[in-house]
Amino acid sequence: MKGNEAFAHAALEAGVGVVAGYPGTPSSEVIETIAKLHAQGVAQGVHVEWSTNEKAALELLAGASYAGARCLYTCKQVGLNVASDPLMSLNYVGVKGGVVLLVADDPGPISSQTEQDTRRFASFAKVPVLDPATPEEGFAMLKQAFELSEKFRTPVLFRPTTRICHASTFFDVEPATQARSAEGFVKDPKWVIFPKRSYKGHGEINARLPRIAHEFGGEGYAAFNQVEEWSVEQGGDVVRAEASEGAEAAAPAGSVALSAPANVSAQPGEASAPNGSAAPSASAPHMAIVAGGISASYAREALALLKQRARAKGVNLPACRVITVGTPYPFPADLVRGALDGIHEVLVLEELDHVLEDEVLKLAGAAHLDLLVHGKLDGFTRDRGENDVADCLERICSFFVEALVQQGFSAGDVMAALNVTASVGSLVEQSPFDQEALEPLIPVRPPILCAGCPHRGAFYAVKKAVGKRRNARLCGDIGCYTLGNAMPLDAVDTCLCMGAGITVAQGFAVAEPGVKAVSFVGDSTFFASGMTGVANAVYNQHDITIAVLDNATTAMTGSQPHPGTGVTLMGPKTKPISIEAVLRALGVECITFADPLRLEESVAAAKEAIDFDGPSAIIFRSPCTKLIKPAAPAVHDAEACTGCKVCVAALGCPALSWDAQVGHPKVDTSLCVGCGLCVDLCKDGALSCPSRTEEGGAR
Amino acid sequence: MINISIAGIGGQGNVLSAKILAQAALAKGWQVRSAETTGMAQRGGDVTSHVRMGSDGEPVHSPIPAKGTVDVIIAMEPGEGARSLPLLKPDGLMVIARTGMPPATADMKAKPYDPATVIDALQRQGVNLLAVDDHQLCAQLGSRKALNIVMLAATLAAAPAALAGKLTLDDMRAAIPQCVKPAFVDMNLAAIDLAEQYVRHLQA
Repeated sequence: MKGNEAFAHAALEAGVGVVAGYPGTPSSEVIETIAKLHAQGVAQGVHVEWSTNEKAALELLAGASYAGARCLYTCKQVGLNVASDPLMSLNYVGVKGGVVLLVADDPGPISSQTEQDTRRFASFAKVPVLDPATPEEGFAMLKQAFELSEKFRTPVLFRPTTRICHASTFFDVEPATQARSAEGFVKDPKWVIFPKRSYKGHGEINARLPRIAHEFGGEGYAAFNQVEEWSVEQGGDVVRAEASEGAEAAAPAGSVALSAPANVSAQPGEASAPNGSAAPSASAPHMAIVAGGISASYAREALALLKQRARAKGVNLPACRVITVGTPYPFPADLVRGALDGIHEVLVLEELDHVLEDEVLKLAGAAHLDLLVHGKLDGFTRDRGENDVADCLERICSFFVEALVQQGFSAGDVMAALNVTASVGSLVEQSPFDQEALEPLIPVRPPILCAGCPHRGAFYAVKKAVGKRRNARLCGDIGCYTLGNAMPLDAVDTCLCMGAGITVAQGFAVAEPGVKAVSFVGDSTFFASGMTGVANAVYNQHDITIAVLDNATTAMTGSQPHPGTGVTLMGPKTKPISIEAVLRALGVECITFADPLRLEESVAAAKEAIDFDGPSAIIFRSPCTKLIKPAAPAVHDAEACTGCKVCVAALGCPALSWDAQVGHPKVDTSLCVGCGLCVDLCKDGALSCPSRTEEGGAR
Repeated sequence: MINISIAGIGGQGNVLSAKILAQAALAKGWQVRSAETTGMAQRGGDVTSHVRMGSDGEPVHSPIPAKGTVDVIIAMEPGEGARSLPLLKPDGLMVIARTGMPPATADMKAKPYDPATVIDALQRQGVNLLAVDDHQLCAQLGSRKALNIVMLAATLAAAPAALAGKLTLDDMRAAIPQCVKPAFVDMNLAAIDLAEQYVRHLQA
């Protein structure tokens, strides 16, 4: 099972009683798995829901925790921004039932607006954070997180990254689980946040953080914070420090040993080494790698490869200590300080921010350690994006060269010993294949709206409606419909964050009078964070038009339900909330409607709303293609076609391509879902959809 | 360590192939990790599944293999095989389907995609290739949906050095019932038999 599925099982096995969150890649499968197990009847006593947004989810969980229930919150990294208000205060108030926030980070980013680091958020919020290196570690950590939360009355962050959430391995899980019963709420002034209470709460936080750091450095968390010894000589992979003592084997014949520099005692570090110890034995490492999260796994893999290759080439390398930190905040400083005994050079491998690097530097300063620290800050490792095994291998090789030069060897000697001729990168094997030569032959597969996606018609209609007005600002939002920015639609000028399309448009309306500002918002995003923006437009009378793209689902993250669908994860369907009714209640006076797959009515509806003076809305209603069965594909009549190319060039539908040989468009019948939009566009009457009637669309 | 990557595009069934390999590895008591990496596109975009097996009892740390360490790439379509080439070991094997999947794009200026040229270019670079007539095999089986099983079975039937004796076609057959619904077991076993005959014929 995937990491996320395993985390769902772990929370259920820990007796979680209330689970709430908002969808977001790479976190969504956790709640989906819990809902599935609940529906199967094996996860008993649990309440699980997709909340309207992250803030709603965490506030709901605060209440459930006050009543004694164990609570799990899930979101992606940017979702925590939305829930930061309740999180900051909840930490001051404290929890009763354990509260664990699973916040999935997205290095890359692969599908996010930012590369923000939830470990950093943890230190800002003064909340402990756990950072798994493997899905199995995460499974164990998540269970322990509930204990930690209750022991210290603190919310606890658990932050896996994409490669942990979405990587699969085998797990043994309980066949059925029962939520722990909640003891109930006990009235107490402590649950009411007030300045006086906050001052006291801040003191409680400041008192518990060092205790938590101490606990992280102890036996209970030893599985997550490991200190291991690595060398080319020893057998096995990466062995534990205890097991490695005295396990000194002979280097392969003809090898070049670099592990015991002759001038080691001349190192300035020796004099100031912790405990004033004498020069360490030849086998004691001077170098250490500190790693966390998936980078710890990459580092282990890279070191295993390096050992294999070094042995094959008869090269010996300096011994190295590997310190992995699964509890980055509060940092287990005592444990890491002990592990840095005798170490003079550190390479920090982590993704996103330089969190561990900062902690090691802080430690070096506070304890006056003679320590050179390499990482993101000195440009030694990638400053952003994902790490991977090959990249870690290169950095580790560079680190060895660097360190040996620091220890008094000449760069030339080191290069020779490592069998490197030109650059560092040393034992990284070069591929004999030339990928670049192949690039022109490989088809580009850009992200585009699906064939038959109703958003295509909405974007096209709005562009048609504003066509003559040069000064129109088209404000996009978060969802599949961000892809409205792609050519040929080119209908998105801005995209900021969830719900911002509606409010960014108001800024344009204020700063550029006379400009027509149109915002696009999906149905799920509308409920998540669009409504306050609508209220603002009506209150302050901003002349904007809100195009609601209602496809009846949260499509981007895998078709989750939302308040507008009435479908809940607990089973019973509730009354769907009408977007129209919400807009009317908020005071939007001009609301038009259209089926976005009907071109004429869509353009007319868009024009009417855009021409209205004051806040207006167009509601485009048509379900996501993933929710419905495809209709018969469009049929092209070569006789009628004049080859004007408009259908292909204007819509950018993947099911319509241009056949240059015959000078006609070609319908890919395996992709076409018979939406009929191209039928409306064709002036020649050369395209038709069998299932499309005058009265209504194919759907 | 055996690393196998399956390069294709969304909807080609990579994930089931990866699941079958993982199940077969589990049956042998090996540690196994799998993951998918995707390109830019969410839908109709490139997807590569990776399966890493600790075939000598060694631990598997990363779910994604390093460049140049993959023993076998199963390319469900030629362009994606070429895209994943940096993963392949210098002496690794690429089992590649001949049928290309044109990109879902309305870019009228894009150069037409020619899968045969891609296979030729890979061959010229000295890539150890096994090109599979997937069109013919799937037609015989009556469905393109059999592509993933055919390609995986062809790989195991070809028995490249990295797998020989460690992971066989019989291991795949044994894993099928745990990975597909009972109604589809026979269909999948028939696809495996056909792919095996095909490879034996090629080798003869």
